[in-house]
Amino acid sequence: MRANYQVNSGVRFQMLSDDQLEELFESVLHVLEYTGLEVHHEESLQILKDAGAWVDGKRVRLPSYMVRRALELAPRSFTIYARDGNPEHDIHIGPGRSHFGPGPTCPNFIDVETMERRPYVKSDVPLVAKVVDALPNIDFCESLGTVDDVHHDLGATYEFAGMFPNTSKPIVAWSYDKYDSEEIHKIAVAEAGGQEAFERRPNYIHYCEPLSPLVSTEDALDKLIFAANHRVPLIFTPCPIAGGTAPVTAAGIIIQAAAESWMGLTIAQTLQPGLPFFMGGVLSVMDMSNMILAYGAPELSLFMAGITELAHYVGLPLWQTGGCTDSKALDEQAAIEGSLSAYFSALTGGDLCHDVGYTESAMTGSVFQLAMMDEAIGYARRITRGIEVNEDTLAVDVIHNVGPNGHYLREQHTRNHYKTEFFYPNLCDRRNYEEWEMMGKQTMSDRVVSRVQDILATHEPSPVKPETEKVIEEVLASAEKRVK
Amino acid sequence: MNETLEKLSTCILEGDSEAAPGLVQQALDDGVVPKTILDEGMVVGMNEVGDRFRRGDMFVPEVLMSADAMQSGLEILRPELVSSGVKLIGKVVLGTVQGDLHDIGKNLVGMMCEGAGFEVIDLGFNQKPEAFIDAVKEHQPDLVGMSALLTTTMRAMGHTIKSLEEAGLREQVKVMVGGAPVDQAFADRIGADGYGSNAVAGSDLAKRLVGAG
Ligand code: B12
Repeated sequence: MRANYQVNSGVRFQMLSDDQLEELFESVLHVLEYTGLEVHHEESLQILKDAGAWVDGKRVRLPSYMVRRALELAPRSFTIYARDGNPEHDIHIGPGRSHFGPGPTCPNFIDVETMERRPYVKSDVPLVAKVVDALPNIDFCESLGTVDDVHHDLGATYEFAGMFPNTSKPIVAWSYDKYDSEEIHKIAVAEAGGQEAFERRPNYIHYCEPLSPLVSTEDALDKLIFAANHRVPLIFTPCPIAGGTAPVTAAGIIIQAAAESWMGLTIAQTLQPGLPFFMGGVLSVMDMSNMILAYGAPELSLFMAGITELAHYVGLPLWQTGGCTDSKALDEQAAIEGSLSAYFSALTGGDLCHDVGYTESAMTGSVFQLAMMDEAIGYARRITRGIEVNEDTLAVDVIHNVGPNGHYLREQHTRNHYKTEFFYPNLCDRRNYEEWEMMGKQTMSDRVVSRVQDILATHEPSPVKPETEKVIEEVLASAEKRVK
Repeated sequence: MNETLEKLSTCILEGDSEAAPGLVQQALDDGVVPKTILDEGMVVGMNEVGDRFRRGDMFVPEVLMSADAMQSGLEILRPELVSSGVKLIGKVVLGTVQGDLHDIGKNLVGMMCEGAGFEVIDLGFNQKPEAFIDAVKEHQPDLVGMSALLTTTMRAMGHTIKSLEEAGLREQVKVMVGGAPVDQAFADRIGADGYGSNAVAGSDLAKRLVGAG
């Protein structure tokens, strides 16, 4: 018997101390109580006022007890379910679990045939979903683009309609307004078997964004209220830029982003207590030479780690960011920036890490970047899984049995563990020189491209129910009428 | 070159908003004509700022400090320029178009234009075509600048140009457009007079469009 033996299962870092986290937390409450936010939404203003907020025109200040209560109500652990009941595709949100997926709505896409950058079109949607469905380290789906070749107000609806049948991994859905939110919801509910069944086993997450600095916009809150009323798990994620739309310091941008998220949290929990809620978002720097929001900056990882720790300190899951790059090509820069941020994100245990596959600072989506990052995430996951220490893994007996001058190749212990102890690369090459030469001297990007092409040629995602297919058709037809 | 003008140009380059008005006043007291103070003092400094920024030797916050110094000097100089009959470089009405909430890029363009000596009327974000029309009527600008960050709202730039035409105002202004998804081809298609890929390109473009580049 061991007394109070402590086990670390997996690698995770803690950057901020509890004292520092408490200071950040109190600062967020202070901003919400003393500075307040603008809320551009009549119904929300009323909801907040009735719940005890100080409302002065559009300016809303939240007494800290309201925010604490909302934090209390929101769950830390819950499950988002695969639409087809495949438990491998369920996402269990909870301490120490990180998940990865692409980002939404880039205007451009890297064509999978020509490898050229061009506008994102409708036929790219099922293709991205299929690749997501097949990649072992990608857990949820977004489409990496805004569909350009349909009526522009219907981009989000067509996107969901194209993704849903082509992956059973949970989808994170954005929308323009409450109308397309409703269309998306109809499709998801049809597959779940009705609203009640959906509430028990939600199969998608709704995404919306406040405006930095310190504004909750009309469209964002329309969508938030739709999601809350229908009990759709919700992401409320700002995109502040340090030095531009947020303070230049890490601590400053983190507390501003948290304040922006928690205004949404407070409205959502008032309407729907216990609604699964992720705080966000994308926190990075304004590059002071090129005037872009840098998706490959080390500060992105650092800011995201800080806000993840704050989220976990208050018991909320976080919408993380990583696997993205400012590079325009599938090159060394893309690999460095994407891998480091994906790895760092995994180390934080941040709950849903999005924007995997973003290139050119969110202007161009790439399934190639996504597939390359799948490998980096696998690598990161092996590291963060850590070292297991028990009688079996210590292998004292095995060492004794093999002794000096022996080898381990034939040991049962080796046979028992080699598959789970080691990471097996899908893309990184470990052949010797001659074999590598014989295989055509392929580079990493060559292998990424063939992997994607292979998935597209062979992977069959599980289909949606025939009823759902009909509902999708109906939803698209009525959406077309809506914009006529 | 007059020593005060040299100091003034250095003061703009260094972004010293406090010293700029005094140096402008001193140059005026020395008897330098207002247009010379502008062209051989302030603009010299600001051009150097532009060059250094393009070379990567200066960063946005420093450029904006210089722009602020330019504006603080112009507060003293502007009335003198006007009364000596010099046409100011120009006025820009600037806004993010209808349906679009992205505004930090537009803000940067505005500040860079101020740095180039323009008077900037910033309408804010999510601005309907009518708001641009009203502003053109009220402020009589030389330029209208529009920003859009979404493929869906880029169309609103075209609509705004149409509205300017319908209101009979298109001829009296130059129109420039920008924003991450916008490009030259799109600008040409909707009949804009120019496109700028970033804030510095934007202020250079503004100068060119008013014939001062
Ligand atoms: C920050 C951000 C936001 C913030 C904006 C906050 C704010 N206060 O501005 C928030 C979170 C609110 C937001 C919301 C949305 N966003 Co947004 N956002 C961005 C992001 C990441 C950075 C934009 C930015 O500030 N860049 C830094 C500034 C300095 O650069 P800039 O704006 O491009 O401006 C420079 C030049 O373009 C030029 N310029 C700009 N204007 C002008 C004008 C003239 C006249 C000239 C000459 C030059 C010029 O000069 C500037 C300085 O150099 C971009 C990604 C990107 N790479 O652009 C996405 C992005 C633009 N957003 C996008 C989307 C989809 C949205 C949403 C629809 C998401 C949603 N589903 O809710 C909403 C729409 C809200 C709305 N109605 O506008 C997409 C657009 C895709 C598309 N197909 O059009 C992008 C590309 C990201 C992505 N991949 O999803 N967003």
